[in-house]
Amino acid sequence: MRRHNPLASGRNFALRGISGHRFRALGPCAYSSSMPVPPVDPSGARRAPASRLAAGAACVGLAALLAISPAAASGTDVAVTVRTAKGAPVADVVLVLEAAGAVTPHHREKQTARMEQRERHFKPELLVVETGTLVDFPNNDSVSHQVYSFSTPRRFQLSLYRGSAHPPIAFNTAGLVVLGCNIHDEMVGYILVTDSPYHGQTDAHGTARIAGVPAGAYLIRAWAPRIADPPASLERRIEVGDGAEVAVNFSLSKPLLAAPTPRPGRTEWDAY
Amino acid sequence: MRRAACALVVSLGIVGGATAQERLIVDGLIDLRAVHTDATPSFLYGGLGRVRFDDDHEGLRLGRASLGIRLRLTETLGATVVADTYDDGDTNAVGVSEAFVQWRPFPSNSIRWQAKAGAFHLPVSLEHRLLGWMSPYTLSASALNTWIGEEFRVIGTEVEARWLGAASGYRGDISLVGGVYGWNEGAGAVIAERGWALTDRPSVAFGELGRQRAGLYYQFDRQPGWYGGVTWRHHERFELRALHYDNRADPAASNLAGYSGWNTRFNTLGARWEPVDPVTLTAQYIEGRTAIGPNGAPDQFLMDLSAWYALASVEVGRTRVSARYDSFATQQTQGFYGPPADDAGHALTVAVIRRLAERWEIAAEWLRVDSRFPPRYWAGLPAAATDTQVQLALRYRFRFEAG
Repeated sequence: MRRHNPLASGRNFALRGISGHRFRALGPCAYSSSMPVPPVDPSGARRAPASRLAAGAACVGLAALLAISPAAASGTDVAVTVRTAKGAPVADVVLVLEAAGAVTPHHREKQTARMEQRERHFKPELLVVETGTLVDFPNNDSVSHQVYSFSTPRRFQLSLYRGSAHPPIAFNTAGLVVLGCNIHDEMVGYILVTDSPYHGQTDAHGTARIAGVPAGAYLIRAWAPRIADPPASLERRIEVGDGAEVAVNFSLSKPLLAAPTPRPGRTEWDAY
Repeated sequence: MRRAACALVVSLGIVGGATAQERLIVDGLIDLRAVHTDATPSFLYGGLGRVRFDDDHEGLRLGRASLGIRLRLTETLGATVVADTYDDGDTNAVGVSEAFVQWRPFPSNSIRWQAKAGAFHLPVSLEHRLLGWMSPYTLSASALNTWIGEEFRVIGTEVEARWLGAASGYRGDISLVGGVYGWNEGAGAVIAERGWALTDRPSVAFGELGRQRAGLYYQFDRQPGWYGGVTWRHHERFELRALHYDNRADPAASNLAGYSGWNTRFNTLGARWEPVDPVTLTAQYIEGRTAIGPNGAPDQFLMDLSAWYALASVEVGRTRVSARYDSFATQQTQGFYGPPADDAGHALTVAVIRRLAERWEIAAEWLRVDSRFPPRYWAGLPAAATDTQVQLALRYRFRFEAG
């Protein structure tokens, strides 16, 4: 019954279980501090009007990392597509590039992101943020939620609330944080916290562009809670040069697991 | 004036909604019915009919007026009281359906605990998913869950341990639930006397039900009952629930007030499947037995019982259309004093429920129950009867919240 955790596979990677082990960029990443991360606009940047899952999610400056081709065009783009065995695009898959070389810790602007609750679901279902990001948890339902996580990278509890009752929470440790609501057990959300500045999330077309990646050797890894494929098939070693963009295609062999079901028909009278 | 009152309630609700943590939530429901039925006299009015209303009790009726009060004592401890009136001559004008405290701590690992104590419904029904033990599908409950609502109330404590699969990458969970209770020695009396029925008239804690004028919930044999169950939820789309119940009543016990111990136990299994978004398919099965009189005595009354239903429901926009087929039986195997309490029947229910606005709802239901029950001879009626009932319901809900 227990699905194998794709994050737990990494051979020499310090990546572990969904229940809160570390999801960490493999060590030193060939990042130069002279190469700033494209600034993230916390107010606005929205992901391309994309997937069902992301629809309506006013999320995440992060997506800007994907959507924006940095004008300062330093480095190379990595273009990723994720498709099912039948060729259908798979949206909302997180992609993380982990560099194999040495890295200088880079200074980042303080980033913010939102993990909204609406129609008794977390929106987006999966959020990828860099370490240090502040995540807000606004509840836009008419019912109260009690959001929590007991994942090792970030344990927290938000006492019963609606609206924006709590200050944002900082996610300072890389890893996968599984979110729940203590009132509505069917609510499950994920925040993937990564040390890597090179990450993205596929759009409705199943594509993502990770821009401005410096030359070097990387491991690119794909993950989404709906993917049933074994983790080993969701990682690739790639060489990024100074020239043309690098294309990476993931083709899933297993059908996607069922998506969560936002139920707009639900009312505050529903007991659960 | 009334409009002003409604506006006040609404605005209070909104004010409450703006607070970070509401300590008190009061949910109200008023359910008015227009009923047309040719049913034989209802059990609620002293007959053996299988539906809630009958030929002499139709027209405009009160379906239910309900007040549910939820008070949050601490972050993880809450108290709930549900008070109801059905305007059908119960002991008290207003009865308490449920009253309990519930503790639900934040999980610190993948096991989440929950405990309840007080009086509350058995965790059996897959129909009653709304506040106040109401069904989103039909007005009248299935035969199976009508019985659960009529004769059973946990008056004791329940503990649930739920394994949260999400933490392990599994989208679903498994929960084990167990309860210990008293005051359920009467469970079995109604079904033995009347057979199965399909109503939306659960009992209240200090009330009575039709011919059971002696009261429903009593205890004198000092033996607590228990139940244990397991629920598996898979991907929000599928739920499987099984439960074993045994009230451990001493069937030989009785007291001067005329109360007897009904030794009742049952197993129940249910599944809900939502294959695609608007569609819900639900089925439940129950089998059990009840006994009264000393064990081993040749005149001990013994009765087997079983029932199942299958329900299909489609929700399109604000409208939900549901159809349900019920099948039920009891068989008396011992202790005959007259016609055997052998009930055999089936029922068909079709219901349409439409939300008009957040607080208003209308519903229409057609229900037909065919049953054969020899004890009807006592009332000079043929064993076989068909009860047909058509209802229109207008429901208004309101909520008051206070920080």
